Amino acid sequence: MPALDPDRWQVVSSFLDQALAMPEGDRGAWLETLRRQDQALATELEALLEEHRVLSREHFLEEAPELPPGDQALAGRTVGAYTLLSVIGEGGMGSVWLAERSDGRYTRRVAVKFPSIALTSGVGAERFRREGSILGRLSHPHIADLVDAGVTTDGKPYLVLEHVDGTPIDRFCDDRALDLGARIRLFLDVLEAVAHAHANLIVHRDLKPSNVLVTTDGRVKLLDFGIAKLLENEAAGEANPHLTREGAAMTPEYAAPEQLTGGPVTTATDVYALGILLYLLLTGQHPLGSGPHSAADLVKAVVETERPRMSEAAIVASIASKRAATPERLRHHLRGDLDTIVAKALKKDPPARYASVPALADDLRRYLRLEPIEARPDTLAYRTAKFMRRNRAAVTLGTLVVTATAAGIAGTLIEAQRARAQRDFALAQLSRAEATNDFDNFLLSDAAPSGKPFRVNDLLARAEHILDRQQGQDAGRVELLISIGRQYWTQDEDDSSRRVLEKADRLSRGLAEPSVRAKVSCALASTLARGSELPRAEQLIQEGLKEIPDQPQFALDRLFCLMRGSEVSRAAGRSQEAVARAQAAMAALKGSPFESQLLDARLSMDLAESDREMGRYREAISMFEKASEQLALLGRDETQTAGTVFNNWALALEQIGRPLDAERIFRRAIDIGHDDRGEETVSPILLNNYARTLHNLDRLDIAADYAERAYSKALRANDEVVINQSLLERCRIYRKQGNLGRAAEMLSQVEPRLRKDLPPGHSAFSGIASEKSLLAQARGDLTEALSFASQAVALVESSMKAGGSGSYFLPTALTRRAEIEVLLHRDDAAVADAQRALEVVGRNQDPGFHSCVAGRAYLTLGRALQARGESAKSRDMFRKASEHLRSALGPDHPEAVIARQLAEADSRP
Amino acid sequence: MATTISSLIDAAERGDPSATEALFAALYDELHRLARRELGRHGAPLSLGATTLLHQAYIDMAERDGPSFPDRARFMGYAARVMRGLIIDHARNRRSQKRGGRFEITSLGAEAAGSPVDDRELARISEALEALARTEPVLAEVVDLKFFCGFSFAEIAQMRNVSERTVQRSWEKARIYLHRTLRAAI
Repeated sequence: MPALDPDRWQVVSSFLDQALAMPEGDRGAWLETLRRQDQALATELEALLEEHRVLSREHFLEEAPELPPGDQALAGRTVGAYTLLSVIGEGGMGSVWLAERSDGRYTRRVAVKFPSIALTSGVGAERFRREGSILGRLSHPHIADLVDAGVTTDGKPYLVLEHVDGTPIDRFCDDRALDLGARIRLFLDVLEAVAHAHANLIVHRDLKPSNVLVTTDGRVKLLDFGIAKLLENEAAGEANPHLTREGAAMTPEYAAPEQLTGGPVTTATDVYALGILLYLLLTGQHPLGSGPHSAADLVKAVVETERPRMSEAAIVASIASKRAATPERLRHHLRGDLDTIVAKALKKDPPARYASVPALADDLRRYLRLEPIEARPDTLAYRTAKFMRRNRAAVTLGTLVVTATAAGIAGTLIEAQRARAQRDFALAQLSRAEATNDFDNFLLSDAAPSGKPFRVNDLLARAEHILDRQQGQDAGRVELLISIGRQYWTQDEDDSSRRVLEKADRLSRGLAEPSVRAKVSCALASTLARGSELPRAEQLIQEGLKEIPDQPQFALDRLFCLMRGSEVSRAAGRSQEAVARAQAAMAALKGSPFESQLLDARLSMDLAESDREMGRYREAISMFEKASEQLALLGRDETQTAGTVFNNWALALEQIGRPLDAERIFRRAIDIGHDDRGEETVSPILLNNYARTLHNLDRLDIAADYAERAYSKALRANDEVVINQSLLERCRIYRKQGNLGRAAEMLSQVEPRLRKDLPPGHSAFSGIASEKSLLAQARGDLTEALSFASQAVALVESSMKAGGSGSYFLPTALTRRAEIEVLLHRDDAAVADAQRALEVVGRNQDPGFHSCVAGRAYLTLGRALQARGESAKSRDMFRKASEHLRSALGPDHPEAVIARQLAEADSRP
Repeated sequence: MATTISSLIDAAERGDPSATEALFAALYDELHRLARRELGRHGAPLSLGATTLLHQAYIDMAERDGPSFPDRARFMGYAARVMRGLIIDHARNRRSQKRGGRFEITSLGAEAAGSPVDDRELARISEALEALARTEPVLAEVVDLKFFCGFSFAEIAQMRNVSERTVQRSWEKARIYLHRTLRAAI
């Protein structure tokens, strides 16, 4: 690329200004306009903008160069309540000083660590302190306390840690020549500590011998828990692995593959590090072998090459003697079960490792008791974990809604309120976002040793059980119960949700933190509101909101409570209030220490979904667009979360009558679901939603294919709701294809299933009625068709009156009936129905907005008017119909074609 | 000093090139002396933030030179430029020192493949900035303030009396320019 000469830069610079000021999506068009005037300039700008993208990815210049550090003795300097005594050491992260309390109050010595990072903003300092205090809550006999975290008066962050006088565990074991059994028992203490941290949602991320000390009396003490994460938050850039540097060479020997490739760091990452540590304790060497390695080789070895088995390691006499054995005996002990255990901990693929630290501990204990271990060559468990990931995706997606089609190609509408959008698990915990993901991972992977697939509800029950077994009444436990309660809520398991949240409520009474109590109240309120205990729910919300302190560090808690409040308002039918609360939630985030683009994106998603549920489709669609852009900016537009956004967005577009747009967005959602094995991880809900849209667009054969795939996947996943949905969809498609017999057969399967699950007045049944009407019409039995169509209208009206949803189906149901009325020559009734349909549509949409719902209503109205002889008016209606249908369905869609032809035909008597 | 810093700034702004040179020299001396003093002081912090240093320098000099001392914003523009020089010098010294200094400089969060900016790269950036300063001095100043001195967009916006978005855009443009220039030099 040639350098820029100053004159050229002068010219280019002001254009760059313009380009950078506009949203990225608009630049393409702008460049095109420019290209017509000055091709060379446009090409140059394009190249520069591309370069901008590259340099952003590279984080060019985002890390400031360091200024000279102080080289002086700091001895005698005070930091917080402590006086520095002497340097203990310098590590990759900074320096560590021995210190003691300045006021001489008590004589416990501490270590003060100065990590070498710079906090350039006040927000960073506050967050550092807060996160430090989260870590400080970790209290366990085998974990060195984090006593304090703070920032000096000149802006240097520091950590005050319990000073541990001990030796790294590998040296400790060697010095005392401990045999394998003794080493494993010591290691189990380490595991206990790590498990405790994980249960408190803290991942260590940097486990290695120098962080695992043993005191002279044999007590294990783990250092630096979670500190890597704490520091990473402050450094520039996102999600970078924490690596210890010595000089210029890196030492990723304890780094898990995902840490080197930039993947998510979870509890499984700690398991890997523990595996390496165990390998070291048992064989005296590192799985990568001895000798200096170049950084590149190490990375390759860690990420790509499989670990050699322990028993194949080079065991020499000196190593064996430190383990109170001979080389042959040692090798013998290492073969078999120990080999398997270590190998499982060291799998490159995180889900293939031990699901949790207690699982690893259990197998080690079994080994010591000479019992058979659980670890197996892993294909079954592996597939189970994979399966569950897929299953999770299903739960994340939005409500299943089928919009109807009309005008001779009627469809049915099913309102499946049972599957709701999963309120993001991590939303409330985003400041511990990774921690909560760890919990998910922890839960999901603590899976069936028997290999049976877990349903989400089983997992939740398990989680509850695990928590029950834990002692203590701390805030962490209550928070977890809140999460579980909310998960049940999204699964529509209101009884379980209530049970768990009432439990949380009881436990929270004993807590000092008002924010946690408030969250429990609000979570419980939302569950109660669904059970129609509205007054109590509202009361709980108000209490909760009052209890939360007004400070910025409680912004997330406030957000949580406001979102729950919004749900309660919605349930009570106060939609203005619901929207106001949701917007207040968004505002609560601004300027708080938790403000982050990712949280913003998730919040946008949640608000969009909330809008959609309330029938505010226009707002929902623009919120979805916003969330999608935010995710794209974060580079996360190919994640599961993005898939959810696209699905829900596309649903909203369907509901508002724009299937052509919806199809495009559904496609994006589906494309995300293909992993690199080529195996499809797209959830059945999405497949069915897509099928419905394709059906709407008259691509019947592909639609049938997707509906069938949705059905079989749903069967395998035992997903009631989607089974029903897909049956219904297939029914409709068969009917359209003329296969009335099969269509009726599908319908006859669905109805009893719905009757079993849903209350009789549920709007879903209007969809069934509508379907029956269409079948009857296809058979030529117009009287029966009319009767069912009226039933459909009645059902949707009564559902709406009872506060249920379905308002977007009403126009379609009315249009359907109007259709039949035209065929029966009841033109006045037809006109009335079609006009009413348009009126309902008009209430929800702006003029100038084109939808197929409106289009079909216009078409039917036109036909009815034509039958009454009002040809001028009818032609006007046809013209409007054509406009709407062409835009919403595409000009080649059969309905659009019909409408156009009618609009262009000469007036007939 | 025969002339005060403030009069040098005035002269430099009127376009007097020798005043500009003298100004930079004087500022360099000041900042260097200040840095050594801060670091040598008993109980000093482990590493000095550039912004702290600059603020301190401003306070000291303004106190000394009296009320006619130019406002912080003007001062910072020049001082930041000088700070750039200081930083590059230091980086060069560090590299040429034998290893074994007491504190290892590390960069947390560096990607596996990346490395911190070394003094040669800094020098190239500096050269590129000089070139940029001739056509768009505002952009060069933003880089000095943000990259070398560590001021935030908000602080820079306040100093320059423009919106944060404007500062961000300048930053992005400057980055593009520097990236292109550095690449071309390879």
